[in-house]
Amino acid sequence: MAEPFWLSLRKQFTPIHLLGHAVLFGVGLVLLYPLIFMILAGFYDKNEFMTTVLRVIPIPEEPTLANYRALILGSKDAAVSTYMTNSLIRTAYNTFWALLTSFLAGYVFARLKFKGREQLFLIMLATQMIPGTLAIIPTYLEFARFPFAGGNSIFTGGTGILNTWWVYLIGGPAINIMGTFLVKQSLEKVPIELDEAAIVDGAGTLRIIFQILLPLQLPIMAFIAITTALGTWNDFITPFFYTNSDKLQTLPSAITRISSVGASPGAVINYPLIITLSLGITVPAMLIFFFFQKYIVQGLANTGIKG
Amino acid sequence: MGHADPPAATAAKRRTKRNRDGLIAFVILAPMFLFWLIVSGFPTLFGFFLGFFDWVGLNDTPNFIGFGNFVHFFQNKVYTDALWRSIWLGGLVTALTLLAGFGAALLMNLPLFGKGFYRSIWYIPAITSTVATTQVFNIFLDTNNGVINNVLKSFGKEPIVWQYSAAWGIFWIVVYSVWKGVGGAALIWLAGLQSVDPVLYEAAAIDGAGRWGKLRYVTLPGLKPIATYIMITSLIGAIQIYEQVLFITNGGPYGQTEVLVFRIYRDGFWDFNLGMAGASSLIMAVIVIVIAVLYYNWSTKSDRRTTIPVKPVKGGR
Repeated sequence: MAEPFWLSLRKQFTPIHLLGHAVLFGVGLVLLYPLIFMILAGFYDKNEFMTTVLRVIPIPEEPTLANYRALILGSKDAAVSTYMTNSLIRTAYNTFWALLTSFLAGYVFARLKFKGREQLFLIMLATQMIPGTLAIIPTYLEFARFPFAGGNSIFTGGTGILNTWWVYLIGGPAINIMGTFLVKQSLEKVPIELDEAAIVDGAGTLRIIFQILLPLQLPIMAFIAITTALGTWNDFITPFFYTNSDKLQTLPSAITRISSVGASPGAVINYPLIITLSLGITVPAMLIFFFFQKYIVQGLANTGIKG
Repeated sequence: MGHADPPAATAAKRRTKRNRDGLIAFVILAPMFLFWLIVSGFPTLFGFFLGFFDWVGLNDTPNFIGFGNFVHFFQNKVYTDALWRSIWLGGLVTALTLLAGFGAALLMNLPLFGKGFYRSIWYIPAITSTVATTQVFNIFLDTNNGVINNVLKSFGKEPIVWQYSAAWGIFWIVVYSVWKGVGGAALIWLAGLQSVDPVLYEAAAIDGAGRWGKLRYVTLPGLKPIATYIMITSLIGAIQIYEQVLFITNGGPYGQTEVLVFRIYRDGFWDFNLGMAGASSLIMAVIVIVIAVLYYNWSTKSDRRTTIPVKPVKGGR
């Protein structure tokens, strides 16, 4: 470690190191290619994109910032800023709740002793393995028959909470099981004597939770925040299946609705708009990733090894 | 409780502490579970329950038919094919992702300049939205003005209509899945490589092991716990692949790229065959849980510390 800079620089040129650079950089570039393509295609004018012959490196003849501007300032053709706002609100809301529920529930399972704790935890983990697709239709039915909502007299008569903001809000406070698991594992490594010392000093439960234990869990909380934020940000299922009006769509569901999955059969797919919306999803996600990648790398290592 | 209480008092205190703990746990957990039941627990159970009913179309009334849907599942080629495709496609994606990820991790473990940069660019596909990036793949695969066909044309070759061929459909689904998964696999392998005790490498060097000897006798055995973990999680994830199928091939041509979870989606949303969707889900859940339990038993037997629940953190609702 303490060797001089030039020696370690020379080491970069052994065959195995050169191979490392070549493969990691070369394949890395290939992995980035679809995103580079997307970013470059974003500079096309709508009409030029539809008529030009697309090359491997798409360089428009008359580059325009219209697509990028539409993402920030909104556009005439589509409610881009509505989608963006909805995506942002959903993401912030879910992230907030994920942090709160994971931490509190993690504390409960790591520190409190009560009957059936282990069994409850195991059942929770088991439910994580059931394919989520299964729940989509029952959830739809449940939302449609939600008691006393959306014109329902008890169960029927109206549309329940379908196509309302409740679809997005109701899931927030639900327990976040993976986050709970991560916090539990991490708290179990914090010696219980720390809590006991705080009790002796006269701290109450809330104070122990938020002033003593929480600051120790910041890396794992950052990991939970980032994964939840990215998961919500990229989620198309909730808005696509349980809402209908344009006002409630998010960026991913707006793409789904105009893609081959959601558009009427035989319709021309509006790829320029899809590219614009895709940029709206991808660029912020990449920025978040670059700012917080330390926590992602650490968190992945934690979930993977120490458990 | 630093002081030495008389035994009876300690026991009483412990009992009240336990009661108090239970109360706090209840107050914290009950609301969370209530919401969880609404958005996840109840719909999932209800979905399983539907597997025992014949229910086509939301306006129809459900008919209890016991195991009829399950019999239909195993007698109908559409379903058995989809199940079989899920399994081999999942296995193929897992194998390719993990092999490529392992190779990359070995290289990332070298003291290279810019290895942090390499780690980032390899991981980026994992954070992108499936909806957005599959659309880019669709632009590549367009028949008339797709990037790949334009390249073929410029070499004087005939353009390929990817959408007419099940083999190409599967090929691109696999390419997409590996593209998305390889960076994450590399990072987990890398963490595994870095957790191997360096003293073991020194010992191996003293015993005369070269680069390959160290890999064979130190690295690989040291990676065994992480290898099982990553194989099982990847496999469980990969046999449930369906979003890329939905957006890239939409199951076509003629349902020849349908995987089981896609079939569940299709039964539910196109055909409103809720009974079959429920039954198929139950079968998939059983497969996943069997894999997970086998893993759980195996890893608790070998080393308790390495037992990890088998699903990545996901935001969703």
